[in-house]
Amino acid sequence: MSCFSILQKLTVGLFVPHSKTMNVKKFFAPFLSIALAAVFVGCATQGVRNPSGVRVTQMNPDEQGFVAGTGVESQDLVAVTDKMARSVLNTPEILRAQGVPRVVLIPVQNETRFPINKDIFLTRIRTQLNSKSLGKVRFLAREHMAALERERDLKQAGAVTSNSDPNIVEFKGADFFLTGKLQGMTTRTSKGTSDYILYSFQLVDARTSDIIWEDSAEIKKQGLEDAVYR
Amino acid sequence: MKSLFLTGTLGVSLLVIAGCATTQSSHTSSPRPVIGGQTYYGQPRDKVLWAYRNALTAMRQGNYPQAKELLDDAILSMGGIITNDKAARQARSLFHGEAKKTFIGEPYERVMAYYYRGILYWMDGEPDNARACFRSAMFIDSDVENKAYAADYTLLEYLDGLASVKMSGDGSDALQRARKFSAASLPDYNSRANVLVFIEAGDGPMKYAAGEYRETLLFSQGKTGARSATVRVNGQTIPAPAYDDLYYQATTRGGRVMDQILANKAGFKATTDTIGDASIISGAVLAGTQQGRGSKADEVGFGLLAFGVLNKIVSSATTPTADTRYWDNLPQYLSFAALELPPGEHTLIVEFQGQRGQNLPNLTKTISVNVPTDRDAVIFISDKSIPKST
Repeated sequence: MSCFSILQKLTVGLFVPHSKTMNVKKFFAPFLSIALAAVFVGCATQGVRNPSGVRVTQMNPDEQGFVAGTGVESQDLVAVTDKMARSVLNTPEILRAQGVPRVVLIPVQNETRFPINKDIFLTRIRTQLNSKSLGKVRFLAREHMAALERERDLKQAGAVTSNSDPNIVEFKGADFFLTGKLQGMTTRTSKGTSDYILYSFQLVDARTSDIIWEDSAEIKKQGLEDAVYR
Repeated sequence: MKSLFLTGTLGVSLLVIAGCATTQSSHTSSPRPVIGGQTYYGQPRDKVLWAYRNALTAMRQGNYPQAKELLDDAILSMGGIITNDKAARQARSLFHGEAKKTFIGEPYERVMAYYYRGILYWMDGEPDNARACFRSAMFIDSDVENKAYAADYTLLEYLDGLASVKMSGDGSDALQRARKFSAASLPDYNSRANVLVFIEAGDGPMKYAAGEYRETLLFSQGKTGARSATVRVNGQTIPAPAYDDLYYQATTRGGRVMDQILANKAGFKATTDTIGDASIISGAVLAGTQQGRGSKADEVGFGLLAFGVLNKIVSSATTPTADTRYWDNLPQYLSFAALELPPGEHTLIVEFQGQRGQNLPNLTKTISVNVPTDRDAVIFISDKSIPKST
């Protein structure tokens, strides 16, 4: 029964008392308490499903959700980069490499609907590999090339000291490129919003262009916002 | 007994009315935007609104770092899914207006926050993040009652495709969708275009509340001055017609879920008010005819009066008012032009045209642009801009 109908019935009841002998206090007490209850029960969200919204829940990618997902968050970054770092180290080309393979990072490509700091994925994979690979791979600091070249030029010009012959090229070339791509799918229905994001990373042989390693992680999230924002 | 009851009722009424007054004043005294780069948010629940307004002011002044900071902050608040929020709960309750909620804006306002952030990402040489912003904006516009108007911004689709083309992707689907939405002719993508000019003109939609209890949110059109533009550079003249109209976007969303809540509140307010009137009149008649003889009917009369007063109090405390806070410095029309220019210094002249295509020389902007070799030069210009070299 809706709040309005309760109040309407109350009104009818008030105007047509059942018995003139009824005790007045007993007569009014239920009406007033029901009226107050009706007031505080809150009729405003009548007919609105999930007025408070549904808390965002994280699900397994293969799980059937009631809607589908939302954005890239720190826990996703940690989970994805941990998985990728472990996976790279198990690549035969890295495990059985002659000498220490050199890797250069190529910025991740973002094809999702979420603007992100793209470098953060590769930065975390690099730091994980540097701290856990025990020197099995080395990364080249190509983002600092301008500063490195300036320093070499100063050494060649004799403006600063050098512990080796500055005219010999010692900047190392890449054996592999590490890069990745973020792709997403979004669903929106009256039941909420869902986002699926596929994080894929590749290690590309710089000499042959072979993709020597590739792995991916998937995350799906879903939620329904508060009715006042719908 | 009667006097005690009536005194109690009066006390409750004063309390409710006092609470009501506080609620009303908190959202009606909205301060004016701060021009000149200073950020002032007013009420905490208006923080995003002020971030929007100040970000756009900063963009028009060429202060892009500040605009980025403000938009990132706003997107952080509005980009997620808001649940179990105290302010939202209050906005849904009977005794608070919708403006009690934390402002994140209607879809057309949220779309514009992403649109501007996308422009700034492209300026920084990140077309993929720019595209992500345009896609998020389109996603926000997909929540409409009539699906014919879902995600129907021409420029968002067009720019999504252009960003893909610039990154060696395929933008043909996006171009096709953009052409479907656009009344103006959209040029084919030129992957060599290295100067992107984002133009806006006119005044954006304004919100107002209508209905007996101001429970219905409606929009009115802003002042219509300039509508389109022409870009002149190195002997080239490139038209930049109005591809999108924010007033159209604001008014084609259809009903909100919140409208149903406000309608329920208004219904409750009207019902309690009617019951209050009827009870007071009946009670007064009943009590008056007994002439204070202390009979049962006399007591029923006073009881009805008290019940009526209580209903009137509850009715007056019920606040179904729609939220009319709005991003008040938005434009109405969005335009765009992509040019191919050799790297180096160039001077662009942007001329604005009115509703009937007539030139508006007082709005003409002259911009010096240094076209870099490694990324696109992105220019943002409004009919209200203070021109600055890019």
